[in-house]
This record gives sequence, structure tokens and C-alpha cells, in this order.
Amino acid sequence: MAEVRLNNLTKRFGSVTVIPELDLTVPDGSFTVLVGPSGCGKSTLLRIIAGLETPTEGSVEIGGADVTREEPSNRGISMVFQSYALYPHMTVAQNIDFGLRLSKTPAAEREERVAEAARILSLEPLLDRKPGQLSGGQRQRVAIGRSIVRQPKVFLFDEPLSNLDAALRSQMRVELAQLHKSITTTMIYVTHDQVEAMTLADQIVVMNAGRIEQVGAPMELYDKPQSEFVAAFIGSPKMNLLPGKAVQHDEVETVGIRPEHIRADTEDGDWPGTATIVEHLGADTMAHVKADELGDLIVRLPGHTRLSAGDRVFLTPERENLHLFGKDGRRMELNV
Amino acid sequence: MPSTTDSQRMPLADRLRRGLSNGRITSVLILLPPALILFTLFVMLPLLESGYYAFFDWNGYGEPTDYVGLENFERIVGHSVFHTAAANTGKIIAVSLIVQMPFALLLALLIYRKTPTNAVFRLIFFLPYILAEVAAGLIWSFVFDGNYGVTASIAEAFGAESLFILADRDWAFVAILTVILWKYFGFHMMIYIAALQGVSNDQIEAARIEGATRLQVVRYVQIPAIKPAIAVSAFFAIIGALQVFDVIIPLTNGGPSNTTHTIVTYLYTFGLTRLNIGFGSAVGVILFAVAVTIAVFYQRVFMGRSES
Repeated sequence: MAEVRLNNLTKRFGSVTVIPELDLTVPDGSFTVLVGPSGCGKSTLLRIIAGLETPTEGSVEIGGADVTREEPSNRGISMVFQSYALYPHMTVAQNIDFGLRLSKTPAAEREERVAEAARILSLEPLLDRKPGQLSGGQRQRVAIGRSIVRQPKVFLFDEPLSNLDAALRSQMRVELAQLHKSITTTMIYVTHDQVEAMTLADQIVVMNAGRIEQVGAPMELYDKPQSEFVAAFIGSPKMNLLPGKAVQHDEVETVGIRPEHIRADTEDGDWPGTATIVEHLGADTMAHVKADELGDLIVRLPGHTRLSAGDRVFLTPERENLHLFGKDGRRMELNV
Repeated sequence: MPSTTDSQRMPLADRLRRGLSNGRITSVLILLPPALILFTLFVMLPLLESGYYAFFDWNGYGEPTDYVGLENFERIVGHSVFHTAAANTGKIIAVSLIVQMPFALLLALLIYRKTPTNAVFRLIFFLPYILAEVAAGLIWSFVFDGNYGVTASIAEAFGAESLFILADRDWAFVAILTVILWKYFGFHMMIYIAALQGVSNDQIEAARIEGATRLQVVRYVQIPAIKPAIAVSAFFAIIGALQVFDVIIPLTNGGPSNTTHTIVTYLYTFGLTRLNIGFGSAVGVILFAVAVTIAVFYQRVFMGRSES
């Protein structure tokens, strides 16, 4: 187990700066998720931690030791790739065993560790198969098994679930959460899917254009996004971002309000509008409303709300749940 | 596969109607005949004819009438030059597999990554392959020339006596092997480069994280991943070795004292140039039989396995 610290980290590819300057601490034993849109530098950051890329400036510390110039294999990390990166000519057992064989671990210990990993991941019946004979979810488990047997100080995951279908993805998400609970090793997980980030993480790092927008616990990010970018990125459906005139305050550029923090009425309210699409999801009803002065909004209403497209509707935001952002896109604490 | 079973159960007339209506049979009727006719006229017929001529003592003029049975084959089997030619062909196969392929793989591993410098090296290494065989043979005959060639200059620089490698019974075939190696390694290298570029980078990085050295990555990840390409390249090396001809003619023309013949130059020299068409055909039949046997055996044993 180990804490990971990134100090003044910069990464440039030629003249392109991918990560301008970044500091980050990943606490020991935490499940930290790096999340952000494609091309925001999150995978590059993970690869720098793994040692597959060298930072242009700055240092990487794992467990208190500076590993910036260390080979990937000497950093005490293991990595699960999006493509799984299994060796097609080796059986499941040989794939899991590969690293141990290279490190000349005694045969008895190797066997024991492979068996243990296979047990944790329910891979026992598949040990003699080749990766080509496995389903996506099984391959993913083999890739994780290969990581577990090395008993790393830090697990790195690079979008490990993005090649799976929706049902398998949510199942694997639960399995990953259980795995973290059972082995309590530091895990750093990269994804562009904010649902994965919210459900798995103890700590979320939201990245945008190589910079860290905000670091915090999932609900902290949800309740108090420090920037307009985080506000828009975290939460599904997305937070409504409205022009500043919604609160009539000069300094406010954008007003954010989550769909569940708006009440709807058919007769009276602050923001009159017309329902354009109404989606009945069972427990909830999502109403897309075109507000007369503020534009499009999404409102989360109780499941049995009687509302149809074309109906007039009057919306009232919960004032205490408004998020205000200034011209620089940063959060403002004001009473409106 | 239910659809296959269904189509097999369907009556022939229905299958034909369906084939015609969806255009499959029409396209077969249009596209197959040209290839079939060309293949029959220029491959199958000459092949069958040479099989027929092999049983005659015939100089190529008029109709073959002098039926000699298996005499041509007996003469070939008992001819010491044929033994040398067969042994030389074996040597070419051995050098291709043991020296040329590993060398090509080594170079491929050094320059497979897509960088501008590597592109230049790839071009340089591939150049000998692009060159016409006869031209390559001529170039090397100048290199090996004992009076004015590069070897002459080197010998002179060291104050040694001039070397006439191509006229030396012990060294002439070594020189030919060198030229063959030089001429064709680029071809194998290109096959390996294409295959290596297809190996997932994630697999290589995963191995690095697992602690594999550069050599271990090559051994445990890259070579197993490109096995099908290696199988194909070995197949081409063997079949190519059986056909070596145009490099030898300008270099030694089979000499000195018939020591540098391959099966094909043997066929050419003792069959065609001496107007023993029946004898040459018999050599051709033997060569064809060997090539087909190797091809079928190789496909079954190596390529089938590597694909699965």
C-alpha cells in the first residue's frame, strides 16, 4: 500500500503541452478516479505514474520514494489496460503467471498466488483456456488477475470497462468495488464516464485540458462544484446552466441548478415555460422545458407527474441549491 | 450454422434459382472463366505436357517419338551434377532459414517503429529486393571480380594475392549464398515489419510493467504474436530457394566445374541449352513434385497450426 504524489508535473509532446503543471496526492488505500473528457490528459497522467511516459518536468513519488526515473517494473505498480493486453498464445493461467515467471518467483509460490487470484476473480474453471475463448468480462477479469498476483502497491486502471456492454459494465463495476474493499490497495482509475467515477471513487479528480479542475469526494463534487466545467461534467442528467440574468446579479455569469432542485407547477412559478419532451422513466419523469426567458432546462419530477409535451409549466428553483459561477467560470458564494 | 444446413436441404433447382436471383452464380459465371482459361492454358497444359515429354528422348523439334520410359529419371538420379545441384538447393534453404530469416527479424525489430529515420533504413534494406535478379547478379560479379572488383582492391590493400572468388570451387557457392542473402533479406524483413506493427502496443507495455526486458518482450510477446508471419516467410524462403536461377547465371553460370548449380540452373543447362527437352522436363517434374510436397506438408503442419 502506498500514497502516490505528483509534484509540479509537466508533460509536453514536442511543442504541445498536454499537462501544463500539476500537483496531486492520491491517499494511501484510496480509490481515486481520474475523470474528464477525451484528450484531457488523464491517460497520459496514468502512464506517467506507470512509468510508460517520462514527465518533462516534476516528479512522481510512490510510497514516499521518488520513482520518476524508475522502470515501470520497479515502481510496485500494476496496470489494467482498456484492451486487456492479454497474450493470445498463452492460457489464462500463463497470462496471470507471466510476471511471476519473469521475476523468477519460486514455482510453489507462483502456483499459490495464481490459484488465489483465480479464486478471488472466479476464474478457476477457465485457467486452461486461451483468451480467444473468453468473453469480454472474463478477459477483463484475467487482466485484473494478472495485476493482483504481482501484489502491487498501486493498481492502475486505464478505462478498463469501456470495451464492455452496459450490463457487463455495471456488473464489473460492482466487482471492482468489492475487489478494492477486499484488498484495500491504492487504486487509480481513469475513465471518461462520470457514472463510473461517482460509483467507484473515494476521491474524484476532474481534469480538463491537462489541468485539475477539482479534487474531492463524489458527493462533494456533486454538491459544490468549484467550476462550471465540473458542474456540467458531474451528474446525470447534466446540471442546467442558465444565463446570469436568472438571479439578477451583475457579477454572476452562469447559474447552475440540478434537475432535481426545480419544482414544477401548472399555475405559478418563477420561470414560466413550455414542456417540449416528457420522458416517463418509472420512478422519475424527466421533463425538457423551454423556459420563456432562460432557454432549455431539464427537470426531474416524481414518476407519476401528469405532464405532456406542449403543456405550459411554471418552474421554481430551490434557492439554496443554486450554483453561481463568475466570468472566469469559478464558483461564487453569494446570497441571491 | 442453420443457414448452411437449410441451403443443403433445398432442392437443386431452388438453389440454382436463388443463386441466379441474388447474383452469386451470375458473378461466378462471368468472373471465373477468364482465370480458369488462362490457368489451364498457361499452367495446367504446359505442366501436363512436360510430364508427358519427361518420358521421351526429345530435342524440342517435331513430335516426340522416342519413348524411353523412366530412363530420363534414372539418368538424373545417377548424375553427380544433379546431386551437387540438389545439395546446393538444400544449402540455400538452410541459409535462408538459419541465417537470412533471423537476420531479417533482427533488422525488423530494430526499425519496425514508424519514424522518419526508420523509413529511410527500410527503403535502403528493401532496395536489393527491388533490383532485378540479373542486374543484382551482374553488380556482384563486378564486386567479386579478381582483376578490377572490390575484392581485388581489398586484396591489394592488404598486399595479398588477387582473389578470384567466383572461379574458386570452394568459395564460389559461398559467394552466391551471400548474394542471395543480400538480395532477399529485405523481403522477409518487410513481412516481419508489417506483422510487428500489428502487435498491440498495450501487450508490449504490459510486459514492460511485468518486468520483461527488451529481449524477453521479443521472445515472449512479439515473436509469438508474429508466428503466422514467420510461417509465411519461411514458406516463401523454401519455395524461393527451390527456384533460384537468375542470380546464378550472371555470376557463375553454374561453374566452376558445375559446382554452383541449383536444380533450376541444372534444368536450364542440361535440359534447355543442350536441347534435351525430355531430360529437362523430367527435372521439372521432379522439382514440381518436391515443391508441391513441401507446400502441402508445410501448409498442413505449420500454417494451419499457426492460424488456429
